[in-house]
Amino acid sequence: MPDAASSSPRNLLAVSWRLMWRDWRGGELRLLFLALVLAVTSVTGIALFTDRLERALLLESANMLAADRVMHTREPAPAEINAEAVRRGFRTAGTLSFTSMAFSDNGNMLVAAKAVTDEYPLRGEVITTLQPFTRGAPVTNGPPPGEVWLESRALPALGVQVGDPIFVGETELTVGAVIIAEPDRGQGGIVDNAGPRLMLHMDDVAATNVVQLGSRVSYRSLFSHDDFDQLDEFEQWVRDTFDGNYYIRDVREESEEVAEALDRAEGYLLLGSMFAVLLAGLAIALSARRYSERHYDYVAILKTLGCTSGRISAIYLLIQLKLAALAVLLGSMLGYLVHEGILRALRASLQVDLPPPGSEPFVVGAMTAFICLLSFALPPLLALRETPPLRVLRRDLTQTRFSDRVPYAFGIGGSIFLIFWYSQDLVLTSLLVVGVAGAGLILSLISLLFLTSSGSAGMKAGNAWKLAMTAVRRRRRQNVLQVMVFSATLMSLLILSLLRTDLIEDWQAQLPENTPNHFMMNITGSQVQGIEDFFSENQVDSNAFYPLISARVRTINGSEPDPESELGEEERGASLAENNRMEDTTTADAAPGSGAEAGAEGRRVRGRLSRRQVTWATDLPADNRVTAGDWWQENSRPGLVSVDEEYADWLDIEIGDMMEFEINQQFVSAEVANFRSVRWDNMQPNFFIIFSPGTIDHLGATFLSTVLLETEQKLVLNDLIRQFPTIVVVEVDALIEQIQNIIDQVTSAIELIFVLVLIAGALVLLACVSASLDERFHENAILRTLGAGRKLILTSLLIEFSFIGIVAGVIATLGAEAGLFYLQEQVFEQEFNLHYWVWLAGPILGAMIIAFLGVNSTRKVVNTSPLTVLRRVV
Amino acid sequence: MIRIAGLTKRVATSEGELTILNDVGLYIETGESVAIVGASGSGKSTLLGLMAGLDTATAGDIWLDGHKLSAMDEEQRALLRARTVGFVFQTFQLLPSLTALENVMLPIELKGDPGASAKARELIGRVGLADRWHHYPSQLSGGEQQRVAIARAFATRARVLFADEPTGNLDTATGGKVIDVLFGLNREFDTTLVLVTHDERLARKCGRIVKLAAGEIESEETAAVAAHA
Repeated sequence: MPDAASSSPRNLLAVSWRLMWRDWRGGELRLLFLALVLAVTSVTGIALFTDRLERALLLESANMLAADRVMHTREPAPAEINAEAVRRGFRTAGTLSFTSMAFSDNGNMLVAAKAVTDEYPLRGEVITTLQPFTRGAPVTNGPPPGEVWLESRALPALGVQVGDPIFVGETELTVGAVIIAEPDRGQGGIVDNAGPRLMLHMDDVAATNVVQLGSRVSYRSLFSHDDFDQLDEFEQWVRDTFDGNYYIRDVREESEEVAEALDRAEGYLLLGSMFAVLLAGLAIALSARRYSERHYDYVAILKTLGCTSGRISAIYLLIQLKLAALAVLLGSMLGYLVHEGILRALRASLQVDLPPPGSEPFVVGAMTAFICLLSFALPPLLALRETPPLRVLRRDLTQTRFSDRVPYAFGIGGSIFLIFWYSQDLVLTSLLVVGVAGAGLILSLISLLFLTSSGSAGMKAGNAWKLAMTAVRRRRRQNVLQVMVFSATLMSLLILSLLRTDLIEDWQAQLPENTPNHFMMNITGSQVQGIEDFFSENQVDSNAFYPLISARVRTINGSEPDPESELGEEERGASLAENNRMEDTTTADAAPGSGAEAGAEGRRVRGRLSRRQVTWATDLPADNRVTAGDWWQENSRPGLVSVDEEYADWLDIEIGDMMEFEINQQFVSAEVANFRSVRWDNMQPNFFIIFSPGTIDHLGATFLSTVLLETEQKLVLNDLIRQFPTIVVVEVDALIEQIQNIIDQVTSAIELIFVLVLIAGALVLLACVSASLDERFHENAILRTLGAGRKLILTSLLIEFSFIGIVAGVIATLGAEAGLFYLQEQVFEQEFNLHYWVWLAGPILGAMIIAFLGVNSTRKVVNTSPLTVLRRVV
Repeated sequence: MIRIAGLTKRVATSEGELTILNDVGLYIETGESVAIVGASGSGKSTLLGLMAGLDTATAGDIWLDGHKLSAMDEEQRALLRARTVGFVFQTFQLLPSLTALENVMLPIELKGDPGASAKARELIGRVGLADRWHHYPSQLSGGEQQRVAIARAFATRARVLFADEPTGNLDTATGGKVIDVLFGLNREFDTTLVLVTHDERLARKCGRIVKLAAGEIESEETAAVAAHA
């Protein structure tokens, strides 16, 4: 009967330690351990990095709002909203923006006034100084009562210095400081951007007597809380309590450009970490499989020595758990170091203060290791318990109870769980599962096809080529698995690498270095030449002038427009807020060309049948693409119109339809000549509707233009406005700079994740090559005893691995293009283009990588004496 | 010690069922040494595997140390092996990642007995490899490996020792030394020894020789030179 001592937990623990140590020393566990450590390192590293970076990016982006959440209203917000926020532990502040004239003894100018409460700003800092156009120092509050702070440009225009008095409306205030930067400078519409900033204390507003009932003002309520969940709950509370009449927004809703950059970066980080985990899981599965195969004899001997199946399971379970625990320890430390190292490397480009790391990334890393182990490694190891002890007498016997496929089933189950756990997205998980299953089936069919050929027998050891090719066919089943693993790995790396390149290129194209950062509006036709001359005198490049005119769609083919869908609740909320903002900012009489329409108007307001700014043009604007119909020729007839494709879709317009517009109380008809796709995030003038020349030219338009002014050139604006007092200049330089900053940061993040996944991929490849080593060792040792030379064997190995590499490369390229098509079109909202160079580079790269790894790992085959090899495997 | 009655083993092959052992009966007393001989394919190794509880019979019964093997499952048989049985194999079956000493320590550790290292060292010395204890199997010759395997077989003071062609992979001189070590320890520990062999010289050292032919016992004879002599 069972010996108490032999099955005691203490004995099991001791035996498992000893076996583990001996396995480790013998190198049996190294690859498995390495795979586990890599899984933990990459997951912890990526999780730490994304966690901190994401929070930092959100905080950094929150600086753009000077708060975590913001609410725009045209009137003071209901007091109960603020009270509820305070009750929930929020920090709150308020701002009030309006345009006003500022006067001094030496001059006057239109300023974008902003009154702030004591708590402003909740996020970010105002940077001030005492001398205009100098570097400033951050301060954590706005001006105290009785003071105004001015942007540099306003001081020479008003002829004042710090300490001088100026008048705002009816009250006199003292210039207390010069504003160099303001966190939420890019926010708001014309009210906030129609002139240099003048900041004053909220308490002084009443005395100015500028803000009256019906004045065009913009109130912003600012909210901040360190707990992101609290922010979401509060947002929901406001929506529920006020039935969608008040809408609190975060930076994503406030800035489409930032939202897109953040969304894409998060998407990429998620994709990258999923690939990293799956690759590490694959490496674990492969090395565990090899480990268990090498342990059949071991277990058979243990069984003859009286070890029961239960004890064997317990021993191997303990070994794996201890291995995983060690891997978690080491991997967590390495993960921390990796993410710290990366952050150090990125310090120059990361201008964000990172919040300290939380504990969650470590938990995620540890959980991943154990889940990977349970799903990828344990099944083959537990199958060991079924090894028949008779194997000591008959080596051909293996365990039969577990099918070969059982471990795969566990692995697939584990992967699905991990993907779901990471993404928390059932749709994405289901899509990936279906995609991977389909790809796996196709991959195995293709690889089988590639590796199968008829009429081969024997090893054909006569020359290296034939030897290699017969080896490829002989190990067909094993090779199909290898090709699948290789191609899946190469595919992951190709997808991430191409996606990374495309994303970065896209961002660079979105806001290139020389993006104009000022909009000029309300320019009359007679001023155009003068402004062009002004810029050329001041060595500033001027850009195209777009005519602008306000128009409303009246009929389509004689009928009232019938938009396809009602606006959703959320959209309605957004529209309401947008309305507040738009109407605040439009000051329709003074500035028929709304800056928001021209530049910052995003997709949200599209689809409303309100008046909108239209233009006419001879050439297709840059960044626009004709998606249906043709762009008009230079001398084409008037009466044609080009429509944004999504707008056309919404209004159910087709090419050739007649649209009637009401423009300045006149009706104009035009035939739809083409649809365009418009890049709305490029901070450039964009239009839903463009007429052909001659159609609306006579109806009286103003012009809009853009200009790039570096900080040191901004004083030019004072002269420009003095010379052309009726034009309105909207300054978006602060916004563009903030967006470029954020894009730089997410670019660095993406580069980094790519490197981590690359390492995971390399390990999988190594594990996969190692998995086939034993058989190759044995076979080549026999070949060598039969007189095959070193050169023959090495060449044949090179050919064999290169061939497998090429096949894997071809499949990986096919898979990567298909994957990219889906990801770019559906997830990242990018335009998909085939990457032709990859069609050549993929297979060549595959052959080179696999041949290098393969030959390098199997070099020992020819450097070890055949006798030693044969003795080892007998 | 071992009693076999009506033992039959049949296996399914692609050409139908193949009978490897047919109605074999045998009785081995405690302390006896028995050699099972016969041509290749006569069923010797199968019989050994069945007696040691490594495999199950199609029909018939085996009693090992009073336990009826056919009534036990693999777990119970493993425990019985742990307490009762030692093995020596033709291919040595040492674990390649363990040193000679560790290979001998393994069954003692599995049993949970204290002093595994000292006991193993002593046995390693007894088989003449005191100065090679730290070597791995791949660094030992065939004869040395087999001596380590013998030390391992005696490590837990097994009551029955099964040896499958222990000299099958060795030259005559080396085989001779291994035989001396095996029988020396066998005598000392008073172990019941069952060995399968082609080696006439080895068989003659046993007390009894059982000859198998086509899965049946063809003859039994007492060796001229008995192991206990």
